[in-house]
Amino acid sequence: MPELLEKLSFYLDFPFVRYAIIVGVLVSLCSSLLGVTLVLKRYSYIGDGLSHVAFGALSIAAVLKITNNMLLILPVTIAVAVLLLCTGKNARIKGDAAIAMVSVGALAIGYLLMNVFSTSANISGDVCTTLFGSTSILTLRIEEVYLCVALSIAVLAVFILFYHKIFAITFDENFAQATGVNTTIFNLLIAVIVAVIIVLAMNLVGALLVSALVVFPSLSAMRVFKSFFAVTVASAVISVVCSLIGIVVAILAGTPVGSTIVAADIVAFGLFYSISLIQSKGV
Amino acid sequence: MPQIIFAVLILCAALFAKDPSDTKKYDIDLSRMSGTMVYGQVNQMVMYPQKYIGKHIRMKGIFSSYYDEELERRFYGCVIQDALACCSQGLAFEVAIPRRYPKEYPAEGDLITVEGDFDYEKDEGGGGFPIIRKATLSNQ
Repeated sequence: MPELLEKLSFYLDFPFVRYAIIVGVLVSLCSSLLGVTLVLKRYSYIGDGLSHVAFGALSIAAVLKITNNMLLILPVTIAVAVLLLCTGKNARIKGDAAIAMVSVGALAIGYLLMNVFSTSANISGDVCTTLFGSTSILTLRIEEVYLCVALSIAVLAVFILFYHKIFAITFDENFAQATGVNTTIFNLLIAVIVAVIIVLAMNLVGALLVSALVVFPSLSAMRVFKSFFAVTVASAVISVVCSLIGIVVAILAGTPVGSTIVAADIVAFGLFYSISLIQSKGV
Repeated sequence: MPQIIFAVLILCAALFAKDPSDTKKYDIDLSRMSGTMVYGQVNQMVMYPQKYIGKHIRMKGIFSSYYDEELERRFYGCVIQDALACCSQGLAFEVAIPRRYPKEYPAEGDLITVEGDFDYEKDEGGGGFPIIRKATLSNQ
């Protein structure tokens, strides 16, 4: 144990490890907050769809040789998030079918573009690291860390400021509308925040594992806590703790960062599920 | 009494003093790091080479070499893979005492340890690449 602590303290001396921890904590915190709303609104799989869209946009940015690829990825992902979340009941292609279509479509087009207009000597490596986020969080530049901090603060501020409105449209959109809440604007706001979080989370766990960051902490918290506030707070704590454990284990054991974080989330879910079983038997 | 305390202190110092061979310092010892950390650190060295010029480095990795016909020069590298084994990062090295290739070099894919000084070699095109100079090479 002292050897592990010594090794960890040695690793913490490296700035890129500290950047990874800062970004990891912020991204997992933001994704877990919105995760509760998305799970309750039956949009659990939107993270997966949007991350594939972000992957497609990343490929286009690579083909067009755009240096700051965020300039393309963010607007494209936000636009698709708005389309998916705001067309709602009036859409010709409904919820899950639209997400599935966008998800596989963007993934396929992204991979196709990367292959046809290859700009790298190692396409499979680029695709692999984008999809599974093996080490991308350990290769962040300081500008990316600043961008992540700024976007995370914006997401947290919006969530705290509009907490009651988000709560209202999460549980009963029609009732919220009847009480004077402009649901269109708030659905739009949620769509934009979700897109921002997905793009940020891609650096942490990779496109294929983004859904886990959105879904697992919320579902774990829902096993034990019953009020919206308690679930949101617990979800945030679980998400941050699992991300920290995941990053630390990954750098100590040399495992892929993204999948180690998701593994920690799965363990937490098992733990909270067991607690809920014990609680129900106790009652 | 003071003499006894002094003798005990000398004895303790002797007991806890490190073996001189252990005190050999590296500015960056990549061989002590996990695969994920090595990947992150080598990425930093490739992205920001100026920060590392002159640092004494030790790394473990896979031996790789290629011959550049245009430059008529053979490059040797120590390559490490990421945790998913889909990406690799590596550093070129130049041995301190010249060897003949392939006779005196390890086989491609062999695990090697390289020690030497980090440098950045500029090429004619205005670019460049990081390289470990005055390197000692050991095959495992």
